[in-house]
Amino acid sequence: MTVLLEVQGLHKHFGGVQAVEACSFTAAEGQITGLIGPNGAGKSTAIDLISGFKIPDAGKVRFEGREVQGKTPHVISRMGLIRTFQSPREWPGLSVLENLILACFEPRRERFWRSLRGPSRAEKEKANAQLVEARAILDEFGLFHLRNERAGNLSGGQKRLLEFARMRMAKPRLVILDEPMGGVNPVLGERMAAAVLGFVTAGTSVVIVEHNLPFIERVTDQVVVMAEGRVIAEAPFDQLRGNPAVVDAYLGELPTYDDAES
Amino acid sequence: MHEALLTLGFGLVAAAILSLSALAFTLEYSVTNVANLSHGEILTVGAYCAYLVQQHGGGVILSGLAAAAGGGLLALAVHNGVVDRFVRRGIGGLPTFIATLGVSLVIQNVLVIIFGASNLGYAVPQGAPRTVGPFLWTDTEIQIMVSTVVITALLYVIIVHTRFGKSLRAVSQNRSLARVSGINANRVAALTWLLAGLIGGYAGFILAESVGTFSPYSGFSFFLITLTAAVAGGLGRAVGTLVGGVIVGIALEFFGGYVSASYNLAFAFAILSLVILVRPRGLFVGGRRSVFE
Amino acid sequence: MIDYLVTVLTEGSIFAIMALGLNIVWGWSGDFDLAFYGYVALGAYMTLVLTVGPATDPTTYILGLTLPFPLAVALAVVSAMVLALIVGAIALRHLRGIYFSIVTLGAVYVLYVVTGQFVPLFNGYNGVSGLFDPMGDVLGLDYSSYSFFYLGLCIAVLIIVLLLTTRLNGSRFGLALRSLREDERAAAAFGRDIYVTKLKAYVLGAGLGGLGGALYAGYLTAFNPSAWSPVETIILYAAILVGGRGSTRGVVLGVAVMVMGLQEATRYLPEIANQPSFAPALRLIITGVVLVLFIRFRPQGILPERRFRDKDPAGKGDAAAVEPVVTGPKLDTGAA
Ligand SMILES: Nc1ncnc2c1ncn2[C@@H]1O[C@H](COP(=O)(O)OP(=O)(O)OP(=O)(O)O)[C@@H](O)[C@H]1O
Ligand SMILES: [Mg+2]
Repeated sequence: MTVLLEVQGLHKHFGGVQAVEACSFTAAEGQITGLIGPNGAGKSTAIDLISGFKIPDAGKVRFEGREVQGKTPHVISRMGLIRTFQSPREWPGLSVLENLILACFEPRRERFWRSLRGPSRAEKEKANAQLVEARAILDEFGLFHLRNERAGNLSGGQKRLLEFARMRMAKPRLVILDEPMGGVNPVLGERMAAAVLGFVTAGTSVVIVEHNLPFIERVTDQVVVMAEGRVIAEAPFDQLRGNPAVVDAYLGELPTYDDAES
Repeated sequence: MHEALLTLGFGLVAAAILSLSALAFTLEYSVTNVANLSHGEILTVGAYCAYLVQQHGGGVILSGLAAAAGGGLLALAVHNGVVDRFVRRGIGGLPTFIATLGVSLVIQNVLVIIFGASNLGYAVPQGAPRTVGPFLWTDTEIQIMVSTVVITALLYVIIVHTRFGKSLRAVSQNRSLARVSGINANRVAALTWLLAGLIGGYAGFILAESVGTFSPYSGFSFFLITLTAAVAGGLGRAVGTLVGGVIVGIALEFFGGYVSASYNLAFAFAILSLVILVRPRGLFVGGRRSVFE
Repeated sequence: MIDYLVTVLTEGSIFAIMALGLNIVWGWSGDFDLAFYGYVALGAYMTLVLTVGPATDPTTYILGLTLPFPLAVALAVVSAMVLALIVGAIALRHLRGIYFSIVTLGAVYVLYVVTGQFVPLFNGYNGVSGLFDPMGDVLGLDYSSYSFFYLGLCIAVLIIVLLLTTRLNGSRFGLALRSLREDERAAAAFGRDIYVTKLKAYVLGAGLGGLGGALYAGYLTAFNPSAWSPVETIILYAAILVGGRGSTRGVVLGVAVMVMGLQEATRYLPEIANQPSFAPALRLIITGVVLVLFIRFRPQGILPERRFRDKDPAGKGDAAAVEPVVTGPKLDTGAA
């Protein structure tokens, strides 16, 4: 089992609030790692620090053995680490299909002079292949009929699906999903679970932040628990239940979820 | 008298006018989150109102009141007619900002059609300069200084000690939260713009008094300097804006006095760009941040 | 009458070139740039000082060369792009939204004040003049046929610019720019270097602005600060907004309506009102009102930007069925 992402002693404060404090954990290749914790635990901030959207006060982030802390978001993204945001961030004015096409970053074709000269034969073929793939992915997520729709007009749940579809299109080495189930109805939840598992099949490892614990139990191999900016536990989900620190952080919420589900 | 002290005296007068204008701008910004590009026209309209009153034999006090009234009505009209409608429809800060640029264009050119595009003289008997502490000020300048201090103090009392001030602060912190807790946010915003307009109109009047001439464009040029003061102090922060106004006003006067008055506007914008680049949230807030923070 | 038509069309095509440049910055990349008219002005000034020869006594300006007009235009475009590179490199680094607009407004005012006050640069408020009928003597054209020639030149340049923007519009570069406009964070999360991409668009737009300015200088024969108050940029914005922000055909339509149409509609007003500033002031009032109304009621403009439409009802990812229907260029150059 190789370590893909290694976070070491991250710190970040906002004014007087210590949002992330000495946060360390790892995510392994080919696995789904859950990142849970009560509201305000610092999960989203940790993601921002890892993906370069915020600059840590201290600490190291290694992705595939290379240090990435302090690098800009696009550099980290090009290395194969793509994250989503807590609220869906589609490109609202573009069509759903364009959203998917744009998920594939192609440094050469996006250059100004290349664009001016028009695509070469090989590029045309590649664009075609991409289009075919995009349609297939949209079909898989049940968005095919909406492919020409303005992405901003999709419903909340559809936007979440679109984010998954974009990730599938981008094929990164690691995705970090920030609450992908937020505001999604339970029926769609099934599809989400399948999609998350589908990433691993497609060769993408996953770090997932989620408040829905049954969902976390179902899909994750390993779970990192944060509270008040610190990592308080790092273990497979079934070993967490007996952990007093975790139970304490969730104010006894954890043992009762079985009732809630049935 | 020492030359630097003289310059400081002029600088304080400039700073007073600038602070009033910047305070008004910041009030507008604080409750709507819209940077009002037609703010300069509030000053211009104030100056024209004062001019009309003066032409009909009104004294300084009457002219000042007329300027404040004109500015206040205009600000209220811009708020209720454009800004508030846009904000309520969920049209964002930038498009509304662009719309206020359109409003500015309309007001400027309406004034051009009514009064012509050229400079009008605003002559007031300045009175002989007299020593006030270390400074040498004319009666008009004393009037400007005293009224500015009084208005600022009044504004402080309104914001800190009245119920309206409390609502104003609540709305400026979080409009939807304020609304949920039973504050009529639209009314508070409208009243705040009215208040800002009163101050802005009066600032236009003392600007005309101090410069001696004005035109349909003078408010807009002065607005550019106002923007420097307001942004330097931190948009939407009253105390910061006041300090920003004083610093920028004095700095400009010294630059004008010792380097070159013709490049004043360029100098103001050099300051502004520097402030925005180094400290986008104002001089008094800091920290290392990425582009996305 | 025909002379008048030639005038209106020449001006229209020059403004269309400028507006197409601004559309790259505001329409595609999404930055409300108030410095744009500064690049237009620099293009105009540079064209003049590169062609009209040395300054004679009371006047002073830099360079004063007698280069051929096309070369001068090319150099003018380059200088506008260099200035945009400097301003953009500073302003686009950390600033977005109103802060970006304020700094660019500052930049153009600094430029304006310096041009007006620093006489050795471009002869201060009196400006530079003397560019009569560029290329007219080389081509042996007399006065009456020259205006037709210049109209033809402007239209030809406009067509080239249109081809260029249409091609970029549907390209990956154009699409990437749109993604910055729509959501910067998502664009960065998917690997786009926001700063560099935006800067490219900014410099490109300014280059087209400079080109428009160069042609404008050839048309006006002279240029001075009263020809370009920074407010001038608003007219271009109004044209883009009315036509359709981001849409190439929309921008051309917008210029036709807001520049040529408005000019035409208010043409006989000065005589009626007996006041010289009446017609220009009224035009600006209408421009301001139109700006407000369009932002409120039709922000997408008359001819909105078109999205790429995938027509293939049966194709559901079946490669065999898709291949003949959708071809590469459709995605790359079709109107997105
Ligand atoms: N930009 C900011 N400025 C100030 N404080 C912030 C900022 N962002 C986050 N915080 C604070 O940092 C702490 C951690 O926030 P964060 O969003 O990371 O929590 P979270 O674990 O993602 O919570 P949730 O489950 O509700 O999404 C919170 O106390 C929050 O108030
Ligand atoms: Mg969060």
